[in-house]
Amino acid sequence: MKVFRLVLLSFILIIPSKANTIYNLIKIPNLEIYELKTLNNLKYFYAEKPFRLGVQRNISCTNSDKQTYDEKFKIISKNLNKYSKKFLKKINLKYIVMCENLSISGINTAGIPDHLMKTLILDLKFDERYFERVIHHELFHIINDGFKDLFNEDEWKKFNDKSFKYAECSTCTKKLGLNTYRNTKGFFSEYSKTIPSEDMAEVFSHLISNKYKDTNDNILNKKIKFIKDKLHKIDNTFKF
Amino acid sequence: MIKKIKASKSEKWIFFFLILLGIFALSFTMIIKNKCLFIKNFDPKTISFEKPKNIVVLNVECGNVIIELYPEVSPNAVKRFKKLIKLNFYDNVAFHRVIKDKLVQAGDLEFGKKDNLDYGKIGTGKSGLGTIKSEIEAEFDFKKGSVGLARTLKYDTEDSQFFIILNDEPLFEGEYTPIGKVIYGIEVLKKIKYSHRSEFVLRPDFINYIKMLN
Repeated sequence: MKVFRLVLLSFILIIPSKANTIYNLIKIPNLEIYELKTLNNLKYFYAEKPFRLGVQRNISCTNSDKQTYDEKFKIISKNLNKYSKKFLKKINLKYIVMCENLSISGINTAGIPDHLMKTLILDLKFDERYFERVIHHELFHIINDGFKDLFNEDEWKKFNDKSFKYAECSTCTKKLGLNTYRNTKGFFSEYSKTIPSEDMAEVFSHLISNKYKDTNDNILNKKIKFIKDKLHKIDNTFKF
Repeated sequence: MIKKIKASKSEKWIFFFLILLGIFALSFTMIIKNKCLFIKNFDPKTISFEKPKNIVVLNVECGNVIIELYPEVSPNAVKRFKKLIKLNFYDNVAFHRVIKDKLVQAGDLEFGKKDNLDYGKIGTGKSGLGTIKSEIEAEFDFKKGSVGLARTLKYDTEDSQFFIILNDEPLFEGEYTPIGKVIYGIEVLKKIKYSHRSEFVLRPDFINYIKMLN
């Protein structure tokens, strides 16, 4: 046993310390630079190997292949180019991480926003039908995390019917559908009904990706006005 | 009676070869011990500068590192750096964080001084002048030799610690406050002591002095 420990110790000691700038900046291992020169200054990284992170290492994602990276980068950058450099700076988003099979504690997710680390991790293999829209949905969470006071949830809840109640958390319910309702009745999708912040993110993502038509849905119209007003408070040049 | 034996010709050659080998081994040991050998030392007095008021001379064991400061890029950070230089605060301060071929970092005025080195706290020390705001708005290409102010994980925490990069670091733009660039003597910095095992160096090298040219 002692010999084993010694061998292990000597092995650890001879491993050189390798500095990784990306890791130092955003604390995600196994990433490589995909694109740095972009119009709005976003920096794109891709997973070279699978990685795990989080206090309990409960967030995981795997690497993808070059073709997927190339294809999805075009889609992601096309969508994120809707946001100006100035706006992205205000909301504190700078780094985009591309990988596959993103999950938190085993639950698959389209993206993980990290406002503090200025990072948005995106799952390239997320359902194609919603892929573009969820980019904006996840970006909204970055906005929301940075401006919690602005996106007051109590104010938001009042828009709904009095009889309606959100779930305890976004994964506490099986209502996870992202299909846009034909008959909205105050909500764009089933997922909107989970918690207020997801509802807001759904409204924002539908607005920014032009996936809604003017309706007589009073509740939804109030929600749309709320999101538009708050976004203009953050940046009065912001356009949907 | 002891009979005198004359050394043969081949024995003389072997003896001569052994002496030569000894001299070679000795001089080789001396050469490899001198880490500053073949490192050119730049004398700022022999160089003419466009903006001499922005020229800084950082002197370390292997010679001078000549840095040009960019007050037009980061006015407050350069002002702070110049102030600390003029107060001689950087003299005898350790290069406490060194990553081979990547960067050298120094400037912990509280726990990095030669006569008051604290390995437990080095890298966390302050200057006593307070922190300053990050100046990261301007476009700046962090090319090899760029000098920047270090900070904690949060912005607006720059104080006295600075780093010099030994390779291009495009991701540093917008993250760190640039203050200048090494224009002569980058090779000197490659000889600063580093550790294979850690970014933080035990028994580190020190800045002899930093002074403004004018």
